[in-house]
Amino acid sequence: MGGKVTCTLGEVKNRADLIIYWGGNPAECHPRHFTKYTLTQKGKFIPKGRKDRTMILVDIRETPSAKAADIFLQVRPNKDFEVLSALRALVKGQRIDAARAAETGLTVEQLQDFADRMKQARFGVLFFGMGLSMTRGKHMNSAALLSLAAELNAFTKFVAMPMRGHGNVTGGDVIMRWTTGYPFGVNLSRGYPRFNPGEFSTVDLLLRGDNDAALILGADPGATMPQPAIDHLARIPTITLDPKVTHTSRLSRVHITTAATGISAPGTVYRMDEIPLPLRPPLKSPYPTDEEVVRRIYKAVAKKPMWLPLLEPTAKG
Amino acid sequence: MLRITGGRVYDPANNINGEIKDICISDGRIVSDVEGGRTIDATGTIVFPGGVDVHTHVAGAALNFARAMIPEDHRRSAPMLRTAHRRGGIGGSTPTTFVTGYLYAGMGWTTVNEAAVPILSARHTHEELRDTPIVDKTCCVLMANNEILLDLLEAGEIERARHVAAWQIWAAKAYGVKAVNPGGVAAWKWGKDAKGLFEPVPGYDKVTPAKIIAALAGIVDGLGLPHPLHLHCNNLGAPGNYNTTLETMKVLEGNRAHLAHLQYHAYGGDDWFTMKSESAKIADAFNANKNLTTDAGAVLFGDTVTITADGPWQHLLYKLTGRKWGNLDVENETGCGIVPYTYKEKNLVNAVQWAVGLELLLLIDDPWRIYLTTDHPNGAAFWRYPEIIHLLMNADFRREQLKALAPKALKRILLPELDREYTLFEIAIITSAGPARSLGLPHKGHLGIGADADVAIFNDTPDVQRMFAYPRYVIKGGEVVLEEGEIRNVVEGRGYVVHPSYDEKVEDYIRPLFQQYYTMSFENYPVEVERLENPHINSCKSEG
Repeated sequence: MGGKVTCTLGEVKNRADLIIYWGGNPAECHPRHFTKYTLTQKGKFIPKGRKDRTMILVDIRETPSAKAADIFLQVRPNKDFEVLSALRALVKGQRIDAARAAETGLTVEQLQDFADRMKQARFGVLFFGMGLSMTRGKHMNSAALLSLAAELNAFTKFVAMPMRGHGNVTGGDVIMRWTTGYPFGVNLSRGYPRFNPGEFSTVDLLLRGDNDAALILGADPGATMPQPAIDHLARIPTITLDPKVTHTSRLSRVHITTAATGISAPGTVYRMDEIPLPLRPPLKSPYPTDEEVVRRIYKAVAKKPMWLPLLEPTAKG
Repeated sequence: MLRITGGRVYDPANNINGEIKDICISDGRIVSDVEGGRTIDATGTIVFPGGVDVHTHVAGAALNFARAMIPEDHRRSAPMLRTAHRRGGIGGSTPTTFVTGYLYAGMGWTTVNEAAVPILSARHTHEELRDTPIVDKTCCVLMANNEILLDLLEAGEIERARHVAAWQIWAAKAYGVKAVNPGGVAAWKWGKDAKGLFEPVPGYDKVTPAKIIAALAGIVDGLGLPHPLHLHCNNLGAPGNYNTTLETMKVLEGNRAHLAHLQYHAYGGDDWFTMKSESAKIADAFNANKNLTTDAGAVLFGDTVTITADGPWQHLLYKLTGRKWGNLDVENETGCGIVPYTYKEKNLVNAVQWAVGLELLLLIDDPWRIYLTTDHPNGAAFWRYPEIIHLLMNADFRREQLKALAPKALKRILLPELDREYTLFEIAIITSAGPARSLGLPHKGHLGIGADADVAIFNDTPDVQRMFAYPRYVIKGGEVVLEEGEIRNVVEGRGYVVHPSYDEKVEDYIRPLFQQYYTMSFENYPVEVERLENPHINSCKSEG
């Protein structure tokens, strides 16, 4: 188990006749997703656009996205993993227990219909949001969904894709991978990259108070992180680079105003399917870009004596 | 200015075979003589032109996908620590970009060809290549499943296809053209494959893999690209696939082509239980087809991760192994699949694969036409090349290794009967002079006057594997980058690009199709030339 069976968004536009959103509300959170990539576009092999596609929405409540769906399946909170497991069994032709199925909020008939539709699709896609990946079960939910998508390829063409957002988070992920081998939660303090989510992820470092300084770029943890993490950021020298004054700026020792990327600074943004897009700023800014500021900080830091981690343990152990 | 004195020089392109002579370097080039400057006393060493890797996967969306998939491999691989001269990073099956540069240069290789680039994510590939220091870079753009091209072939519009292809090559800022499982990856978009060379590709009436191969080989030659069509044949990895490979050679008749990782295309038998080596038949046919070059794609036992644009094959490998599976279909162009894999001595199939890679290197008689690769990271990581050199140069060592295989495997392979041992001169050909010639890089792969000063200097010891793993000095573009086994000077590499000529109006043909089938602005599709590091543009003016 593991991996990810996916594609770029154009494949969905050109081929997908079954589109499933799970634990997400694209109508409000990714408002251009339906119209640019998935539902309403005509594709090379989807000549009639919306009419040639079926959309299923799986969520714990009826969000505005349900209006766009042909079928809305309301799952009980924290039962996503069970539903996915049941679907994996049904797809393989195994039986499931009706009473246990009922605990998920769906009937066996609904689950069987769902499984059949997936197997009968010519090209199916599972988009999943934080309603799946960040609720009870977390990464195990994602793994169950990705396994379902992989296993469906024994019957038809099926792919899965996380509904990522938050600006250029995908770009950060992509570049961390080629420079350190890992997507996030990387610790460089020993002179080489180490990866351990839960230990080296930002929240964990802040909660333990491990770090004695912070440089915040393109994020506002002061608005989103747990209070003890925010308290630690306020305790230590925190530097924030942002085009505007954020919650984090207010608790920082230093806020440096930078040009807004895409508006007045050039750059590259990675789409949720990891396709890089160049940014061409229409405006000029009196402020420096993030890159310029980081380069200047680096230049100043580089004047200090080189610090290298100890290769051998010291005599004191 | 630099003088390397007293070393035994192996420079096959200039027919220098172990002569003791001085190599002089000025302004990044080999010159006839220098006065002053540094002198490296190379007495007791051997001097090679810098290594050239004709087929490797070191950058781009697919490799970066693999990096994310195998943290367990990163954890068990030796980390590379930050020093005053280099960045920290991770080695293993999918080294980080900076470490990739250090590891290649660290064993005396100075030019690499990234063998699989989709146009749509070429910008990403170039960003990674830019972060790969020291080595010079070329890359090949994936075309054999590009639906705009396939649709043109279906309509019989070969002339227009040529202009579209040329436009696409320049859009991707590529150096060559790669064909992976022609038609098969397009079929995979519906979960199918293209197995018969002469059967229509699913979704098409007239387009067959054979037609795609012939058309692309013709287009590449017609455009006058320095490197021939870089071809990953259909039916990779499948028992009995040697027939497809032989048929492919016939389809190519008259055109140049480079057959990538030939090891994966030289199997007999009907299924996994009867699979055997057919390297003799492949080598015979290859020896007779002088229009072809190839690389070994050799396999070494151990853990690695397989990465290929061959989506359907990777789905099969996932079903066979039950291990992780990554798949990334790229709209209208290509796909890629990723499966971690362990080659085991006691596994019959793996034993045959291991033997076939070596057999091809030993049976193909002209070292100028077969080059050392492992199809990194598919057969093994590139930093294991010295192990293969050892196997090639020492028949006794090879026999020793055969003992680890299951006895049943010995009946399926030819390796026990092969006594040939490579000479240092031949090693210099398959690791440098040959691939440089195939890539069409006249300044690479030799030490004649005017060549790029890319030089590897090895201690002359009987332990061949150690010798080629740890050079004494490595010089890149005239700069000493490695001394006493340590990277001490990190220079930037170059990016080689071709700019074949095409009718500018072809853009008017591509734009509406692009707007219909793709999901980004047409203006954002071509990679800006500014994205490349030190671009060297070849305009293919030698067109015949």
